[in-house]
Amino acid sequence: MRAGFQLGVLLFAGLYSYYAFTDLSWLSSASRLGPAFFPRIIGVALVALCAWSLVAEWRAPGERVAEHWRASLVLALLSGMFVAVLDVLGGLLAMVLFMAGALAWFNRGRWVQNVLLSLLLPGGMYLLFKVWLNAGVPRGMLLPF
Amino acid sequence: MDLFSNLLLGFSVAVSPMNLAYMLIGVFIGMVVGIIPGFGPSAALAVLLPITFGMDPAGAVIMLAAIYYGSQYGGTITSILLNTPGESSSVASTFDGYPLAQQGRAGPALVMQAVSSFVGGTLGVVLITLLALPFSQVARSFGPPEFFLLVVMGLSTLIVMIGGNWRLGLISALLGFALGTVGVDLETGNTRFTFGSAELIGGVDFIPVAIGLFGLGELYYAFWSGLHVSGSGGIVQYQKEKRFWPTRRDYAESNGALVRGSFLGFVVGVLPGAGATVASLMSYSVEKSLSKTPEKFGKGAMAGLVGPESANNAASSGAMVPLLTLGIPGSASTAVLLAAFVLWGLTPGPLLMASKPEFAWGLIASMYLGNMALLALNVFAIPLFVQMIKLPYRLLAPAVILVCTLGTYSVNGSIVETWLMFGAGIVGFFMKLHGYSPAALVLALVLGPLAEQSLRQSLTISQGSLAIFVERPVSLTILTLTCAMLIGGLLMRRARRPR
Repeated sequence: MRAGFQLGVLLFAGLYSYYAFTDLSWLSSASRLGPAFFPRIIGVALVALCAWSLVAEWRAPGERVAEHWRASLVLALLSGMFVAVLDVLGGLLAMVLFMAGALAWFNRGRWVQNVLLSLLLPGGMYLLFKVWLNAGVPRGMLLPF
Repeated sequence: MDLFSNLLLGFSVAVSPMNLAYMLIGVFIGMVVGIIPGFGPSAALAVLLPITFGMDPAGAVIMLAAIYYGSQYGGTITSILLNTPGESSSVASTFDGYPLAQQGRAGPALVMQAVSSFVGGTLGVVLITLLALPFSQVARSFGPPEFFLLVVMGLSTLIVMIGGNWRLGLISALLGFALGTVGVDLETGNTRFTFGSAELIGGVDFIPVAIGLFGLGELYYAFWSGLHVSGSGGIVQYQKEKRFWPTRRDYAESNGALVRGSFLGFVVGVLPGAGATVASLMSYSVEKSLSKTPEKFGKGAMAGLVGPESANNAASSGAMVPLLTLGIPGSASTAVLLAAFVLWGLTPGPLLMASKPEFAWGLIASMYLGNMALLALNVFAIPLFVQMIKLPYRLLAPAVILVCTLGTYSVNGSIVETWLMFGAGIVGFFMKLHGYSPAALVLALVLGPLAEQSLRQSLTISQGSLAIFVERPVSLTILTLTCAMLIGGLLMRRARRPR
């Protein structure tokens, strides 16, 4: 998995450098250092270091044992879904559903506690952001809050 | 204005009822953040930054700064009672703090850590008071070469000193620089890496990236490590009776360590990139090497707890010097503070002390009061914080995700930025998992535009010659200091390596 991530970073570095070398000019119209100057240095250094790290990884792999990968995956999926439904369902409903889902998975069996937290915490958060701070909370397509 | 009238002006700002309330809220949140393992001050500052939007600028920054230095106090409580540092800067406090607790001396250890944090933090603020103005006057003579070298110094020190794989740290910093180049090129007005997207013309916003990397990324990693299932069963009980208070011998053994740790911590904190963790580890090494009984270290030596504690608090005060006087943050936490300054229309740097004295001195004055409040909180509210250690992570994490998501959205009302935060969270998780440095990425993202601009200006002034970095006395000094810190850092890494 570590080598895969390093490969991903190398790919990003390659694309970044490609863009810096093909689409940006080294000198400006006033013959000063142009918009490509810094990105090209960064890109070349990134590619070189990523390649070096990948070789080092290949020679001495340092894989870590994933003990609780399922928990972090579920948390990431739930938070991704939360962001996805935020402006569809609206901030308040999305928060209630996210809390209910997360607590049902991670705090199993404590139904009363979970229901109370799923209602009270999003309610408090809504009041904090919308009423007290007057900050923007996504409005849903189904409900006005 | 002289020092006294500046400080008086600062106190008149800091003691206003609202600012006092914000400071107290900040130190309390800082304590709570400090005692939660796996959730550092950078994450807390990034997550809570949007919440300060409804406040007045001075109050907002006073509260955020209080969270920052307050977290240094809280991190040690878990080091002593649980052998788990709440913050990386409290690692050294586990070496002797936990053995003291096991010997039934948790009470004296907790009180001594509070006292040493107070002395370190307050001495740090005294030194800021004395040095900030002269420092900012010197900094006014700095040109592009000096600013570029200061950025290089901060990042290279962070990469070398923080431990782990330096190559991956450097890659992280370069990724931050790369993200920093997205948007309009300030010199020519050309757009770069925007791919026709209007959202990217203004560049990659720092706040969603910081909230994602430190907030979500840390949570995913904490779950991956099993923090949501591990309880606080190993917590050492302490007695709130006669044996709760330190003895005269404890104070006598700690006096030297307290003073040395405070001064060492402040100096390390002022250097961009070094920070509280390095300061506390250096202080521990110094105390052990100076001690007449080094064999007691690691088995419950009070000096081994007091030195690092005063050092990490003095370092967190010291880190405010480059931030206030140069506009250069030395760590991820101070980078978030810089973002807060900018959001409020304040430009930290050599002119801040002169153009906004009420703000700069108000912040400094609030730090005196904050340290006093933290001392009282640490001594008298320990039972409350011990209860908080027991708060299960599985309940805490979803609540933090709510704040992260809603906080990011509320900055600009942008769902694209909320997705950016989520993406940064996933990347942050993998970075932490595989030994990369999210802190270096964030710091480079903040400092990238300054680094690019100052490098290009330097080379334009010198007509392409790199000699400009060694010809000017100040830049040569910074360069020499950077080399010395890099060599020192490499030697420290070699010494730490298992034989």
